[in-house]
Amino acid sequence: MTTTIDALAGQRPVPIPLNFSKPFWDGAKRGVLMLQYCPVAKKYQFYPRPVSVYTGKRNLEWRQASGKGTIYTYTITHRAPAPFKDVPPYVVATVELEEKVRIISNVINCPVDQVRIGMPVRVTWTKIGDETMFPLFEPDR
Amino acid sequence: MADRDIAIIGYAETKIELRSGRSVYDLAGEAFATALEHAGIDKSEIDGMAVNASFSDAGNPFYSPVLSAYLGLELDWCQTTDLGGGSVTGNIARAAAAIRSGLCETVIAIAADAQSTENRGNIGAFRSEFQYPVGVMGPPGYFGLLSRRYDAQYGLDPLALAKLAVTQRNHALLNDKACEKLRRPLTVEEYLKSPMIADPIRMLDCVMVCDGASAVVVTSTRHARELGAKRLVHPLGYGERVNYNETDPTPDITAVGHTAAGRKALRQAGMSIRDVQMFHPYDDFLIAIVLQLEQLGFCEIGKGCGFVMEHDLSFTGDLPLNTGGGQISAGQAGLAGGGHNLVEAVRQLFGEGGPRQVSGKSNAMVTGIGWIPYGRNWGSSTVMVLEAN
Repeated sequence: MTTTIDALAGQRPVPIPLNFSKPFWDGAKRGVLMLQYCPVAKKYQFYPRPVSVYTGKRNLEWRQASGKGTIYTYTITHRAPAPFKDVPPYVVATVELEEKVRIISNVINCPVDQVRIGMPVRVTWTKIGDETMFPLFEPDR
Repeated sequence: MADRDIAIIGYAETKIELRSGRSVYDLAGEAFATALEHAGIDKSEIDGMAVNASFSDAGNPFYSPVLSAYLGLELDWCQTTDLGGGSVTGNIARAAAAIRSGLCETVIAIAADAQSTENRGNIGAFRSEFQYPVGVMGPPGYFGLLSRRYDAQYGLDPLALAKLAVTQRNHALLNDKACEKLRRPLTVEEYLKSPMIADPIRMLDCVMVCDGASAVVVTSTRHARELGAKRLVHPLGYGERVNYNETDPTPDITAVGHTAAGRKALRQAGMSIRDVQMFHPYDDFLIAIVLQLEQLGFCEIGKGCGFVMEHDLSFTGDLPLNTGGGQISAGQAGLAGGGHNLVEAVRQLFGEGGPRQVSGKSNAMVTGIGWIPYGRNWGSSTVMVLEAN
């Protein structure tokens, strides 16, 4: 991808992590999407939580995800909320990962009128602030 | 509840205003005083209070005791309920439980917020971590995600949404408590031309956040008789579901907890959905009405738009719907917004609907919607069935 199309670039607020999501943000720095995995239910979960949503137990593992998925649904935002200023319409999408969890993010590097439900996407990373890397998605062609 | 042992004996609703400049305590005080007057009882009768958590005084960990002190109340029971738009129906159920268990005798259930004047809310948690960096535009963004998915699964008919918008607006024109900015006629064409804000959500799909308050007086039917109350409205059934399909990481987001909550409320009331004569659904977005019609069983899943087109939902129609204008055409009093839907149902059942009074209807279903979880549909669903005495 030679041209980056990201309407919100440079304006994103720095995420405020909770203590138990540290492995997610550590993975992000290495460009790796990390997900919590419940070894009893044999299922993933996202966003990070203090317990397994399946069992209520705290024996969660962190596993590397493929970073690939499809668009479950999306919206084209025409009026951005604070702190975003003067940005062109952008896509907020719910991406269903191969690991069967959903993550809300932006679909970038793609004209907004070409986004479709079911479209394959892959993770791409953007830097927020001095040291945080955040997962966005782009078409997986 | 079906034994009619609990009664609403009075109600009040303030004018809904945009940026009123008023404190939430002032709005609550007006609703409180007006409800007492309407019920015809003395302040000393009140020994319990329930109130919704507000945006305007969010962060106050002693909210209900502080409010009760402002109102000069000495109480045997009080609580703040944080189900968002489900709090008002939730508070009637909580008041009923408190009364039955002997905690108190007569409850003032207050809903108040001045969100358009002051918003101290900070939902934080996963939102600060994962949502704010990608610019999810609050509730419109979420309902945009929901609407796109619904359209892909079932087809979303803009003409049905337009009909809901116009029907509710016509009701607001007859409601002098509705926000003045919204009290002008609306056409189907105007709805269809309304600008997209979180495509496919249009501006006119959404509520406008305002300030306002409402209150109802709840007591035992036995005590209502002792107080000489002539007009009673009984809650017959209530269902509440907080979070839905929570352990399914990839749920169908067009399904909501109203399915479960509605079933429970109707079972308690000893009724079927076909017995419901008036419908006052929580309406933060027009599509929420369509989903509730489906999930509560008024029609089949995916057929909500067709149902809207086939029925007359005006106050003279076969299923009168949000006869005060709904929040979308009367204004949303922040987290107290559900009080508008509730009080309008009670007002109609008291026969005090004025120029928009329905005729020949003796029961109503009122719903609540509260909070938006991550990547799902709304989180809190409440359903209450009310009947005139």
